[in-house]
Amino acid sequence: MNQSNIETLIDAGKKRKADFVEIYEEESRNSSIALRDQKIEQSLAATDYGIGIRLVYGTDVLYAYTSNDDQQHLLSLIHLLADSRGEVTDGSGVFTLPGDISKYSFSKNIHDPRKVPPFRRLELLQTADSVARKVSSKIIQVGVSASDIVTNVLIANSEGLWVEDLRVRSRFFLSVTAENKGERFVASESPGALKGFEFFEGLPVEDLARKAGERALFMLDAGYIEGKKMPVVMGNGFGGVIFHEACGHPLETEAIRKKSSPFVGKLGEQIAGSCLTAYDDGTLEEQYGSLKVDDEGMPTQKTLLIENGILKAYLADKIGSMETGSPRTASGRRESYQYAPVSRMRNTYIEAGNDSLEEMFASVDFGLYAKRMGGGSVNPATGEFNFAVEEGYVIRNGKISEPVRGATLIGKGHEILPKISMVGKDLELAAGTCGASSGSIPVTVGQPSLKVDEILVGGR
Amino acid sequence: MDLEQAAGFVLEEGKRYGIDSFDLIATDSEDIGIEVFKGRIVSTETSRSRGVGIRVLNNSRPGYSYSERFSKEALSRMIRDAMDQTEITDPLDMELPGPKPLAEVDLKHYNSELEKLDFSWMRELGQALDHASWESDKRVENVPHVGVGKSSTQSLIANSNGVFVKKESNVAYCGTGLVVAEGDIKKMGSYYRSGRDISKFDPSYIAKEAANRGTELLGAKPLSSGVYTILLGNRISPQIFGMFSSPYFADAVQKGSSRLVGKLGSEVASPILSLYCEAHTPDYPGSRLVDAEGIPTSARTKVLENGVLKSYLYNLESAKKDNVSPTGHGVRSYSGRAGTSFSNMIVPLGNKTREELLASDSHCILVTKLEGGAGCSAVSGEISIGIQGIYYKNGKPEHAVDRITMNTNYFDLLHKIQGISNEYSDSYSSIKIPDILISEIHIAG
Repeated sequence: MNQSNIETLIDAGKKRKADFVEIYEEESRNSSIALRDQKIEQSLAATDYGIGIRLVYGTDVLYAYTSNDDQQHLLSLIHLLADSRGEVTDGSGVFTLPGDISKYSFSKNIHDPRKVPPFRRLELLQTADSVARKVSSKIIQVGVSASDIVTNVLIANSEGLWVEDLRVRSRFFLSVTAENKGERFVASESPGALKGFEFFEGLPVEDLARKAGERALFMLDAGYIEGKKMPVVMGNGFGGVIFHEACGHPLETEAIRKKSSPFVGKLGEQIAGSCLTAYDDGTLEEQYGSLKVDDEGMPTQKTLLIENGILKAYLADKIGSMETGSPRTASGRRESYQYAPVSRMRNTYIEAGNDSLEEMFASVDFGLYAKRMGGGSVNPATGEFNFAVEEGYVIRNGKISEPVRGATLIGKGHEILPKISMVGKDLELAAGTCGASSGSIPVTVGQPSLKVDEILVGGR
Repeated sequence: MDLEQAAGFVLEEGKRYGIDSFDLIATDSEDIGIEVFKGRIVSTETSRSRGVGIRVLNNSRPGYSYSERFSKEALSRMIRDAMDQTEITDPLDMELPGPKPLAEVDLKHYNSELEKLDFSWMRELGQALDHASWESDKRVENVPHVGVGKSSTQSLIANSNGVFVKKESNVAYCGTGLVVAEGDIKKMGSYYRSGRDISKFDPSYIAKEAANRGTELLGAKPLSSGVYTILLGNRISPQIFGMFSSPYFADAVQKGSSRLVGKLGSEVASPILSLYCEAHTPDYPGSRLVDAEGIPTSARTKVLENGVLKSYLYNLESAKKDNVSPTGHGVRSYSGRAGTSFSNMIVPLGNKTREELLASDSHCILVTKLEGGAGCSAVSGEISIGIQGIYYKNGKPEHAVDRITMNTNYFDLLHKIQGISNEYSDSYSSIKIPDILISEIHIAG
């Protein structure tokens, strides 16, 4: 949309007495190619386009979206929203943007995926399939895909903001299925980055495929751990999903403003052991969850969440900040124009500590080493979380012992935090996708290896 | 361009490009809804989303694309994009269908009265629901989720062989999610109603039901680890069966992602279990007369009968591979590739009441809540999941339970089914499974 059209829309919202009007326009070019059963079963290139209009009265949010950019249609949506509140037209004023355009992009030197012919991705997929199948004749299926998305975002609002941002993300997904006498196990790898085709050019595809194949094979024969409460050592990298779910979501003002979090009113209080410091950082170059500006147009920042066990900040978007009094942290995020922004995490991680993995094992008589986590989820209102362990080992007398499958960790985030007693030196970050009220968004989770003194492990 | 014009343009343009064979899915939907918090309408949303997606088969090679812009330029580009993809894909052995007569059944997916519902109706209902939620029980501490809304959708399936089927549907919904507390213990209870009969949208009933779902879990404590008989409540059994629908898809069987490979005609479940796909039941959300690839659906496809695997579910591609007729289970959104899906997944009702089933073992756990699904895999059948519910001793409720997990395998669980109740949950859902009694489940607590 051009500036004049946007000004007309903002003006229409202001005339209907909105305190704040925001126009969000987004066009995405996405492509993906997927191989399964040794065939390229899907190749897709497509365009998403839409506009989101947000009117804010006090802290009440009215949101409309559409993929139809006809100006009369957009104006009708504004009037429909205002009508829903019974707001009459105030005839005064014509809105003018100051003409100060901020253009952002992390991706200065990207290898633009739009200019890469589809066959360039073929080789990656075929290599991954071939390497994984060579691990063993018990590897019966390999699924692998490469996808990228180039998104142009324009955000303008009644405070005079005019921001454009170019976001380029790429992701590789690999799943390997091993089978033995009817038993099956699936291992997966899914790296991603805020990068263009250079992400795939630098990707250790053979290494990823081999590791996934070996893990599927190894875990296929694993037994089950006896389910009960026990100490758990969690692996680094994607192990950070436990902090993301159990503690990150309840720190978002979206939960705080509805008093739907165990961390309401806990700022400045000790909520974890003094060994634990955690951040949510949108500024990390090339990380999957990074953003130059959030989806409300605010430049992102590194936000200290917990320092030596003391709660320092919540993650706040515009509305969450207004309702809770917490400073905005550039955490307003949405999957696409189809969602109004709310406070969400970006790259969330626990800072490296001083303990070694060996020291953690040595402190456990009987427990679980959850080397690789699967997914998880949390109910922020009650703090109840759950996580699947994709690759686990029994720890017996301070040493890693037999592999175990099918373990699940459950508990409450605010009860588990104080039980983190050791933090490793081996911080690692990993890409993920987070689903919540404003859709599925790219994020990064991370942590060094951790020891939790006691947690319920589901098993047999 | 409206939906029909866009589809017509793509059909004409596709022929002009000389594409051998292609089909398209197009949808246009309008949604409006509100959220209420502490008596205030804190969020109002309205949307118009539409898109058209094409699958071309160029020398049998598939290519996909879609567009959310309905201009001639954007739709032409979409066709070119799809054609470009066919340069690298592997050939598919399949043929698109021609038009066929569809069953003459009124699926009751559209109620013109819903079109009259506006924001003022939503506001009134939402505020009544919020008020009723706070009043529903003295232990209600917070009501973070109250929502009311409706959506209307037009969808269209067409192909180069002359298939052209248009459908119109609408639905309204409302519900509440509230937090109840006793001491330091908090539990969440939620209850949503959706459908086209808004006389069922009774705020006090909905609020009471949500409160009951929370308060019944207050005072919960763990059980000691062991092997128990469990009853998956009829709100929970659809979640479990829904997670494990893909092993019945021929596509998953053919590609090694199902443990049901080679099991046709074999007993894979308890003889008391039958599982059907029913596509013509009026007012069920998954009902459809034609699938997403233009194949007419059947009123009933027997998947399991008395524990014996009778059929996989097929789309065009998987049917051709097994040299059978497609069963009308192709599914696709405009932005995705063709896959397979149940229309409505149905387990027929049994003869016993829930209470009779709970009394059939001296120790039994009624499962009323699952915590996440990340420990469940449709490929391996693994089920490792947190559960909450009520512990029954000799058929009488003893206490609520939480902080326990159940650990089993779906394909083992099917054989361990000991009883099926005579009641479905009242939710508007395409999965209808009664309470299911299962023996010998590992519980960790």
